[in-house]
Parts: sequence; structure tokens; C-alpha cells
Amino acid sequence: MRPRWIKVFHDLWDNKARTLLVVFSIAVGVFSIGVIAGAYQIISNDMSISYAANQPANVELRTVGFNQDVLGSIQNTHGVLDAEARRVFNMRVRVAGTEKWTTLDMVAFEDFEANTVNLLTALQGDVIPKKREVVLERDALNHVDVQVGNVLEFQLQDGSTKTMPVVGVVQDTAMGAGDFLASPYAYVSMSSLQYLRQPELFNRAYVTVETGGDDIRHIRVIGADLKDKLEKNGTRVIRTRFSETYEHPLASTVNAILGILMALGILIVFLSSSLIANTLSALLNQHLRHIGVIKLVGGRKRQIFEMYLVLIMSFAALALLITVPLGGQGAYGLALFISSELNFNVLGYRIVPMALLIQVAVGLMVPLIAGLSPVISGSRITVLRALSGDLTGDESQPQGQQQTRVSWLDRMLIRLTRILASRGIHFPRPFIISLRNTFRRRGRLILTLFTLTMGGAIFIAVFNVRATLHAYIGSIGKYFVADVTLDFDQPYRLREIEQMVMQVNGVVGMEGWQFVSGELLDVNGEVLENINIFGPPADSVLIEPLLVKGRWIHADDVRKLALSEAAYGYFPNIEPGDQVTLKIDGREEDWEVIGIFKFVDREGVLAYAPYEYISQMNNLANRSYSFRLITENHERSYQNAKAEELDKFFRERGFKVRVAQAGRATLDTAVESLDTLVVFLLIMAILTAVVGAMGLTGTMGMNVLERTREIGITRAIGADDRAVMSMVISEGLVIGAISFVLAIILSIPFTYLLSTIVSLAVFETPIDVIYTFMGYVIWFGLVLVLSVVASILPARNAARLTIREVLAYE
Amino acid sequence: MDNTLIELKNVSKTYSTAAGDFTALKNINLKVNAGEFVGIIGKSGAGKSTLLNMINGVDQLTNGEVIVRDGGENISVHEMSEDGRALWRGRKMGVVYQSFQLLPMLTLIENITLPLDLSDNFKPRESKARAMQLLQLVELEEHANKLPAFISGGQQQRVAIARALANDPSILVADEPTGSLDSITADHILDVFEHLVSDQGKTIIMVTHDTSLAVRFTRNLRITDGELEHEGDSDESKKVDKTMRRRRK
Ligand SMILES: Nc1ncnc2c1ncn2[C@@H]1O[C@H](COP(=O)(O)OP(=O)(O)OP(=O)(O)O)[C@@H](O)[C@H]1O
Ligand SMILES: [Mg+2]
Repeated sequence: MRPRWIKVFHDLWDNKARTLLVVFSIAVGVFSIGVIAGAYQIISNDMSISYAANQPANVELRTVGFNQDVLGSIQNTHGVLDAEARRVFNMRVRVAGTEKWTTLDMVAFEDFEANTVNLLTALQGDVIPKKREVVLERDALNHVDVQVGNVLEFQLQDGSTKTMPVVGVVQDTAMGAGDFLASPYAYVSMSSLQYLRQPELFNRAYVTVETGGDDIRHIRVIGADLKDKLEKNGTRVIRTRFSETYEHPLASTVNAILGILMALGILIVFLSSSLIANTLSALLNQHLRHIGVIKLVGGRKRQIFEMYLVLIMSFAALALLITVPLGGQGAYGLALFISSELNFNVLGYRIVPMALLIQVAVGLMVPLIAGLSPVISGSRITVLRALSGDLTGDESQPQGQQQTRVSWLDRMLIRLTRILASRGIHFPRPFIISLRNTFRRRGRLILTLFTLTMGGAIFIAVFNVRATLHAYIGSIGKYFVADVTLDFDQPYRLREIEQMVMQVNGVVGMEGWQFVSGELLDVNGEVLENINIFGPPADSVLIEPLLVKGRWIHADDVRKLALSEAAYGYFPNIEPGDQVTLKIDGREEDWEVIGIFKFVDREGVLAYAPYEYISQMNNLANRSYSFRLITENHERSYQNAKAEELDKFFRERGFKVRVAQAGRATLDTAVESLDTLVVFLLIMAILTAVVGAMGLTGTMGMNVLERTREIGITRAIGADDRAVMSMVISEGLVIGAISFVLAIILSIPFTYLLSTIVSLAVFETPIDVIYTFMGYVIWFGLVLVLSVVASILPARNAARLTIREVLAYE
Repeated sequence: MDNTLIELKNVSKTYSTAAGDFTALKNINLKVNAGEFVGIIGKSGAGKSTLLNMINGVDQLTNGEVIVRDGGENISVHEMSEDGRALWRGRKMGVVYQSFQLLPMLTLIENITLPLDLSDNFKPRESKARAMQLLQLVELEEHANKLPAFISGGQQQRVAIARALANDPSILVADEPTGSLDSITADHILDVFEHLVSDQGKTIIMVTHDTSLAVRFTRNLRITDGELEHEGDSDESKKVDKTMRRRRK
């Protein structure tokens, strides 16, 4: 091998710590970009393919019972490709012989073999349940500890139980998509309905459209036609849902979240490139003498440029060697995790060429760009200056400036220490020295501070974002203040239920709510979106709306409603006092908007109108299907116990209880899924912190190396190991502390930015930012620990240097 | 017969520093003939290194011209670009400095082949043979595969000389090559130089502050405060005679 390449090889191999530092700096950035880009590619491709592969319904109609004839008329409707009907009802189940009840959504099929819409995918066992057999959706296995072959107990309305064996497991990617709060599903045949004391009638229709499966407006039109048709037949439609064939209902949310992660990934690349720039410029500085010698014996600019370019590209190649396989795995892992959370399938492990390309490009470009300026100036330096070892030789202008600045700083420090000393505050000598050292290499200090500060600011911001999201969920929770929700399959008089619940220990209050659904129409009478109107009593204590505009409902409101912010999506300029046209029970009506409130709409637009009016509309005055209860204690466990108790209480007395649920149940699920997101953000934050810490380690290492002679002299005049070590470590701590102060400031815009992006992605509305001490406290501790850890290795090296070695150092 | 190999015409060097301008070389005129072993002697700060750095093109001059004869051509050193000078130096002029200037991560033999590589004259087998031959010349062949840190300072300086000779240049310039060596080791280095001049016909310019070495040169030049005073000038025959006398073994 040519001697110059031997030198490059040694530069790579001999200083393993430095090589590792550079390689890892590159790798961290490349890895995070690779994982996110890969996952993004896999998900955006597979999410819609796997969703579309199972023939998802474009229109879902939830109705009161209907029969085969009605299904026939749906199938014959113009524009309908195919339709299937099912009966969906919920039941409480438990593994025979155990205590814990779980609510499942039971889905009854007429004919499993004729399944053409919302296809089920067989996973395990027999996936066509015969009479008195049940098949579970795979997600149910996470909630019920059961295996194929086990027997489940199903609780009937009257509290008695029936048993059915689990014969198989399927995956249903279509039915629960878009609703990660839904109960897990179980499938039975219509022939089992009698056994479960359910009427043998359908209550849902799943419809695919002939054409225009990717045109949501067209789908809505067909849906509205179907609804009209059914209601003319006397089949009341409670709710409709529309979705496009090739668009997973959660695709935009997932993409937005991946977008945020990508932004953080790009930031990490930036930070790691500043780290690389730092290390490479220090490396070139250390190599000035070598460059001088090479030029002295005939080396030209281009040769030196090539040598260092090859060195940098070797760092890049090593980094890619680690990250390409790891990034591919990571991307697939992330995609797999997200897909299992959202119940779709990824199409198997594969290398995403685009992600691979991005990794290689980032892995090569970042070190190249970061190293270009030091390498160019290194290769251009004159022999004389290179030989003199540092840049102090001659006309180096910036050096002169830096020196005056340092001496200015020195003077300040000396004055400060004098002032403090006169007041009896003495700083240990090493500390003063470190402080001075810290400011000596300004460019490097700035880069190190930048990385560490960014890491810290993001870290703190993630905690703030978490607090913000929780606070928002908390305020959303004000729409669900009830401790127990009690739903029945038939309406009961408020009086009657009130008398009953008051007999139950711990129940202190009750409200009856009603509900009506319709469609929001545009000026031309076309369907814009579903609208669900809740009817709580106007003086309800169980709801504290977050009003954006206007007022809340009054008892004497007639055809007036408060709309959720989602309405802005359809009427950007809507104001209280405006009229909106609704279609309810086939009739078009104009309602007045009285207020607009904040809420997370997942399905359709939500609205509130007083119970007083809704109950008249529904012809159910003083009665209700749904009751909200207040208990003495608002803990989740207490709510669970009371829900259980109330369920039993009413069933035993012959009431047709549909479900009794703890009030916080829905909310807790929402918090859980948000926390998954926060975990991802935190992982990215930790990655940035790691980059910051690596930056500090590198800086400390370089500082120590460059000060070898000085440290030797300090030792020669009597400093012991501990003094040398504490000098280096206090320098690290000073940098850490400065970065903490800067991070506090920077975390404010970061929190704002990140919260806004996340809330827009998840809630489709910006939310108020909340700051929490937690992130600041944790980061303060962490940055101190990181600073010490980052300085220990260089400090040990410094302490190990003997005077002889120091003097031999050239 | 004009036997001039190197000619300095009115060479001046002024350093501009924060404290003002400082003229380190004043109007130097000098001719060096092929086959001479020229000693430039002067006190510390007299301008010796500066002068040498004008000849080998390591530093820029302020005024004047340095011409080096190469074959039939006259090359004006300072009219070349920095890269051009580097390539020319690598091929035509060996340079040795006081500090040993070996690359610490390369073995002795690799250090010696480095100039061959950089001047695009590297052929693996031949270059290695050439390096071994040079190591033999400086009597270090048994250390060929050691790193510089594992040999003594004097040995390192001999390797630096071997490296300077790698491309077989006709001129060698040396700045205090014996400066950090004891007198016995220094003697050995000078022996090598004398051998190169008398047996291989090299031309050597060497800088030293050590007046006791004057006797080893074929010509002595004294430099004081940037000005050259010719000393010990003698006619050609006497010089050759002196060289013959000095040769030992
Ligand atoms: N880069 C520079 N900038 C300013 N002045 C310089 C520079 N280099 C050398 N000098 C000055 O030029 C003068 C000659 O320096 P030079 O290095 O040539 O001396 P020298 O004879 O080699 O001394 P020594 O025996 O100590 O090596 C000295 O006074 C020195 O201070
Ligand atoms: Mg000198």
C-alpha cells in the first residue's frame, strides 16, 4: 500500500476513541433518519394496501333491526357494489371459572363464507364459527386471557350466563379502523343469536360503492341515499360512517406523527453534523504538523485533500456499515409497532430502497459537508504555518482577536473572583482555571453548547408537550365528568332510575341524557358530514364545555345547538347566530348556532342541545336510554367497582342493561394512546441528548489533548491526579450548566412549536401550552450527570499523563 | 565555467508583525556551485532559517529572486505556485530540519517512501528497495520496520536524511540537523553529509549556530542580523583540497 494510505489507515485505526466518536455521531443521525424514513415508506404504502385488501366498507349504517329484505334493497340501490349486514351488540365475557369481565363487541354474520365486505383474515383455528361457537379478533386476546379451545362465559341481560368455546382467531382490519377506542370484537353466526337471547335481526349494514371509492363526497351522497331509503322503509338509521377504500381512516394522523418524528430526526442530523464538524476540525488541527511534513516532502493540496477526504469517507462508510442494517430493522420494527397498535398489516420485512438511499446520502453528505471546510483549509495551509504546528505563526488575524477577547474574559473573571473573595467567597483554583479554559476555544464551545442546548431544549419540550396533551385530555374530560355511564337497551323514566340508583351505596347524583344523529348539509342540501347531537340537561353538572365563542345551551333553546370546532372545517366563518341546515330523521331543519366549543371529533361533528328539547324531538320526554351517574369518589378503581355493582343491581331487577362503564374508561384509553406518542418523542429527545453528550465528550477529549503540555506543567508544579481530574470535570460541568440555562430559554419556543404540531396532528386544533417543572428538573439532573460522565474519560486520560509523556508530546 | 547551481539575487525578507515590520534578510546575494558543502553560520535570530526557507521555497520572499538550475533549465523558485514548489521540492531538493519531522504512525521505511509516493514515483517493490538502500547508507537497515518513537533522536535524524534523499535530489538543505544531538551523534550526521558530497556529488547547504563545525564545510558563510558576510572564501582548488583532507575512512 502507498504510504499516504497507510497514514490514513492509521489515522482511522490508532485513535479508536475518536473514530468511534465520529462514526457514532454520523450513525445516530443516519439511524434516526433511516428508521423514520423507512417506517414512513412502509406504513404509507402498507397501511392503505392492507386496509384496501380487505374490501373495507365505504358506508357503514348503524340502524335499529332490519331483515334480509331490507339488505336486498340496499344491495339493489344505485351505485352500491356490495352490501353485507351484521348484528353488532356488546356483551360481557369472562374466561369460564375466572372473575374479571371484559366487554366485547359481538358481531353476528349470516354467512361467513359469503364474506365480501370488511373481510376477515384467518389467523388461527377454525375461523367459521358454528352454532354456539365464537371466534375472536386478535386484539381481544390482549384483553381476555384466553386461547383457542378455551370456553368463555357470556353474560345475558338478566345476569345469567351462557358458554361458548373459542374456536379460532381472526384479524379484522376494517371494522375497528379509525376508532382505537372501540371494544375488541368477537364473531358468532346468526344461528347463535337465539342462544344469546338476541333478536335475529341485523343492525348494521356495510356497503361498498361501485365507483368512486376514493371520492369521499360521492360516498357521502350514496350514504345519504341509503339512509333516506332505509328510513322510508321504516328502518331508523342511528349513525352513518363514510370512508375511502384506499385511505386508512387514521392515515393522516399517523403521517403527521411520523412527520414530527422526521423533523426531530433531521434536527438530530444537524446536531450530529455540528459534532462531526467539531471533531474533524480538531483532528485537522492536531494534524497540522503532519500536513506540514507532507507538504515539505512534496505533498500538494489535492493529495492532502484526498487523504482527508478518504479518511472522512471511511468514517462515513463505517457508520453506514452499522446503520444500514440497523436502520432497516428499526424501520421495520417501528412500522410493525405502529401497525399492531392500529390493527393493520405490514407486508413483511423488506429493504425500502428509498430509505436506504436516504441513509446512504445522509451518511455520506453530512460528514462531507461538516468536514469540507476544515479539510479545505487544512489542505490549503502553507508549509510554514503547518510546520510551526499551530496557527499562531504569522498573520493569523482571527487568532489575534480571540486572544484579546480571552484576556478581556480573563480580566472579568479575575475581577469577579476578587469581588467574591472580598466577600469571603472563594472559588477553588481549578475551577477558575477550568472556567478560563472553557472560553478559550470559542468556536468549539459554541458548537458544543449548541448541540447540548438543543438536546436539552427538546428534552424539556417533550415533557411540556406531554403535560400539555394531558391537560388537554383533562379538559376534554370535562365533557365526560360522569363517574359511571349506564346505558340501557330500552328507555326508562328518569324518576324510576333515579329512585333505583339512589339505593346504591356511594351514588350521589344522576342525569338522563339523550342523543340524536343526523347530517350536516351544505347550502345546496348536499351531505357534508354526520352530526351527533348530545342532549344533556341544560343545567348539567357533568359537562364543563371549553367555549371558543358564544354561549352554552339553555333549557328553553328550541332548535339551537352548540357546535364543536370541527364545524370550522366545513364553515370556516361560522359565528354564533348563524343557521345550519341539518337532516334529521329524513327532515331538513334549520338550527341556530349558539356557541362553538373545543372538542376532539373523531367521527363526524359533535353538537350539544338541551335535553329539554331533544327529548321532545325524540318523543321520550322524561325518559332516556342513557344515564350519567356521580359517585362519592372519582377514582378510576372506585368507578369500576360501582359500574360493576350497578350493572348487577339493574340486571337483577330485570332492567335491560346494555353497558355500565366507568366514566374515565374512554379517557384513560385516550391518554394511553397519547402516551405512546410521547414515548416516541421522548426517544427522539434522548437521542438528541445522547448526541449532545457525545459532543461534550468529544470536546472535552480535544480540549485535554490540546492542553497536554499545560496539564503536564500543572502536574510538574505539584497538582495531583485529583486536582487535574477535578479541573477537567469542572470544565465539563461549567459547559453543562451554561447549556442548561440556554436550554431553559430555548425550550419555550420548542414547546410551543412541538405542542402545536402534535395537537394539530392529533386533535386538529391548536391547544393551550402547559409548562411543567418535571422536564426542567430531570434535564438539570441529567445534564449534570452527562457532563460528569462526558468528562470522566478525558479527565482520567489527563490525570494519567506523566510529565515525561507530556514533554515528549509533539 | 559557470558551475552555479543555486543563485540568490537581492533577496530580502520582511516580516510584518503587530509590533511593526521586521527585516530578517537584507539584500542577500549568493551563488552556490554544484558539489559544494556550504555552511551558513550565525547566532540565534540572525536569519539562518529564514534564508534556508527562501532557498527551499517553504517561505515567501519579500524581494529578489532565487534561481535553481535543473538540468539545462533555470527555475525561479518563487515564481512557482505553492503546489508547484511542493512538487519541485519533493523531487529536486531534500529538506532536513532540526526537529525530526517524521510521521509518527509510519514505519521508517514507509516514512522514506512517502516522498516517492507524493511525487508520483512510487512503485511498490522498487521504492522499498530504494528505501532499504538509503537506510543502509545511514546504517539503520535493521530498524526498517520500527516506528520513529522506538529509535533514538540521532537515528531519527538519519532517517530524515534518508527520506530527504528518496527522490535522489541533487541538492540537500538542512536547518540545524545536529542541533538537538550530542557531539558524537552530530559527527556521525556530518560524516553522512560529507560522504554524500564527495561520493555522490550532492550539493548541501547546512545551517548551524555551532562555529566549531565550520571546519567540516567546503565553504563557510556567516550571517549576522540578516546580512551575509562571506568568510573563508578560497579558490576552487583549495576547497577541493580541503574536502579531500576532511574525508575520513
Ligand atoms: N514568522 C515570523 N514573524 C516575525 N518575525 C520572525 C518570524 N520568523 C522569524 N522572525 C524573526 O526573524 C529573525 C530571524 O529568524 P530565524 O528563524 O531565521 O533565525 P535563526 O537564525 O534561524 O535563529 P535560530 O538559531 O534561533 O534558529 C528573528 O529575529 C526572528 O525573530
Ligand atoms: Mg533557525
